[in-house]
Amino acid sequence: MLRVGIVGCGKISDAHVEQARATGLAEVVAVADREPLMAQQIAQRLGIEKRYTDVLTMIKEAKLDVIHVATPPDSHLAIARLALENGCHVFLEKPLALDTSQTQEILSLAEKVGRKVAVNYLYNFESPFKRLETLLAQGELGEIVHIESAYGYDLNGEYGLAVLSDPKHWVHRLPGKLFHNVLDHVMCKIAPFIGENFQTVALASRRRSPMGSEIVDALPDELRFILASDRVSVSGYISAHAKPVTHTLKVLGTRNSYLLDFVSRTCTPLARQRFPGSIGRLIPAIDQARSFSGEARSNFGAFWRHDYHFFIGMRRLLTAFYGSIMQGTASPQKPAELLIASKAIDAIVASINTPKDAPKDTPNAQMEALSL
Amino acid sequence: MKIFVTGAGGFLGKQIVEQLLIAGERDLVLGVRQAKAMQELKEVCAKYAGTQFRIENANLLDRTAIGRALEGADTVIHAAAGTKGGAADMFLNSVLGTRNLCEAILEQGIKRVIFISSFSVYDTSQMRAGELLDENSPLEVDGVRKGAYAYTKVQQEHLVRQMLGEQKTEVIFVRPGVIYGPGGSGMSSRVGISALGIFAKLGGGNLLPLTQVQNCAAAIVSATRHGKANEVFNVTDDELPSCAQYLSMYRKKVKKLTCVPVPYFALFLGSKWLESYSLRSKGQLPAVLTPYVVKSMYTPLKYSNQKLKAIGWKPEISTSEGLNQAFQFLASQPT
Repeated sequence: MLRVGIVGCGKISDAHVEQARATGLAEVVAVADREPLMAQQIAQRLGIEKRYTDVLTMIKEAKLDVIHVATPPDSHLAIARLALENGCHVFLEKPLALDTSQTQEILSLAEKVGRKVAVNYLYNFESPFKRLETLLAQGELGEIVHIESAYGYDLNGEYGLAVLSDPKHWVHRLPGKLFHNVLDHVMCKIAPFIGENFQTVALASRRRSPMGSEIVDALPDELRFILASDRVSVSGYISAHAKPVTHTLKVLGTRNSYLLDFVSRTCTPLARQRFPGSIGRLIPAIDQARSFSGEARSNFGAFWRHDYHFFIGMRRLLTAFYGSIMQGTASPQKPAELLIASKAIDAIVASINTPKDAPKDTPNAQMEALSL
Repeated sequence: MKIFVTGAGGFLGKQIVEQLLIAGERDLVLGVRQAKAMQELKEVCAKYAGTQFRIENANLLDRTAIGRALEGADTVIHAAAGTKGGAADMFLNSVLGTRNLCEAILEQGIKRVIFISSFSVYDTSQMRAGELLDENSPLEVDGVRKGAYAYTKVQQEHLVRQMLGEQKTEVIFVRPGVIYGPGGSGMSSRVGISALGIFAKLGGGNLLPLTQVQNCAAAIVSATRHGKANEVFNVTDDELPSCAQYLSMYRKKVKKLTCVPVPYFALFLGSKWLESYSLRSKGQLPAVLTPYVVKSMYTPLKYSNQKLKAIGWKPEISTSEGLNQAFQFLASQPT
């Protein structure tokens, strides 16, 4: 069993403890937080033996194999460096780091000291994405032409309210603010397909009414972006206002196209006209009903087998990560793809933060930035 | 007295402010962070001639700011609480905020603190049907088994006792039951739980320990003025309805619900199954209802407000009038 310690005892840390335990490969033996009360609460609620306010003391005293870093992203580099230099493997909560140079530094150091790094890109380990990987390997889609990403963010949800109610929340310190926090969830799924060189277009705006706090009101809540490489293009949005809150990826291939829905955990082909005339408009809905029905059966099966936890993607990723540590095999995530995801986020953030002549006071939305 | 009210913009906090003004207090510092609530409180204060008030939008998580906000006050009513989010969020917003407030209270030499706690701090899991829950009933040791909210409230009380108990500051604990009224939410989980379009009736004939928000605020003001150091006051109104009666009125006056009665033994067995399933499935369904929670929440108990009455409080708003007002408000809300 690997000995795991968690750094950062905020809301996501419960999931780290529970999923690390659920792998059956690790025991969570210690937690650390600069705020002793926060370390105390998680240790008490989840029955963790040791608690610390200092990471290095935790690493040395608790004899850890793996450190989970669940602190705000502006501390990831320093904590990862400390953990790697002291012999621990590192599992980072997203966002991986503040920018590509920090990502590169973490990955290079891990390589140098012979330790592994993984990031909580859980959606790449959920059933829709795993199915996409299988379909691509089978040649079902042909070559990917374009990917459309939709990502909703509920500002009235528990995470959103925490951000809006506190101007000192770490999200306000990120260069890309709210988008910087969630773009990892988008880019981790796109990174395997986009390549290293791409052009970027991004537009960000704030649709909600001002709240009276300069810091909070500086946070945009609607993003549109395009990334284009030689062979594959990506377009997408992050919306804090569109309902329902969606999370999809439409992957358009030269042979077939699929819609991955991470809310319903389905991966279904887009409608195809197989017959002429009105019949051709009648059958596709039946085809799609069959596809969704098959996905529903598959999901019920997974639920029956207790393989359908809300954080099942994280559990699978951790199982693969811990397995790679124990067996000395390659990490489940390719460093090159982590770098591409970082680079894409940097490009979008740079684009929205570049001052341009933007239309002002458009109805319901004040344009924050526009660039090509 | 110069009274600082934390959470003054909240459902209970606004009523505390008004009841303080009704009771003749005219020197207030109001801890409020939402712009809309600030405006409402200004309007409330303007109704009472001679009122001096200062609005402070300090976040309790900001230790320096809360210290500044307390300057000049001699009494604190701590009504702010984190009730949303996961366990860590609630803990952060309630317990850390309270720790910062207690530090500032000691630093500023505040004389008197009224801490708004909750019924959830009582250990009711071992109480027998029909037993009386009062201020002498046993307390949860740590609250872990009772869920995130109870854990937070128990830890908050522990912290207040630890930090202020041995000091010169007088602390009075007020533990309200289920606070209701216009502006509040409609349904306590003591009555039942809504899921997949069905409302599971869980409380049956159990008394519902209601306190109308104005009555509760008036009780807090009474405790502020007349409570002694380390005294505890439970808050419930008179003429408490049963959960079934409450639900019946709610269905008539607010909205129709498709209800399924769940007897106690079925609820208890269901909670045992859920606890076991949650363990087997590694949390695929969270064990929100455990046998411990069911025993704690759904054992029929009696409640007393005698201690509050002994210091002169009485509920001005009758339960029938209070329920009418609350249901009228809920019926007017968009679904």
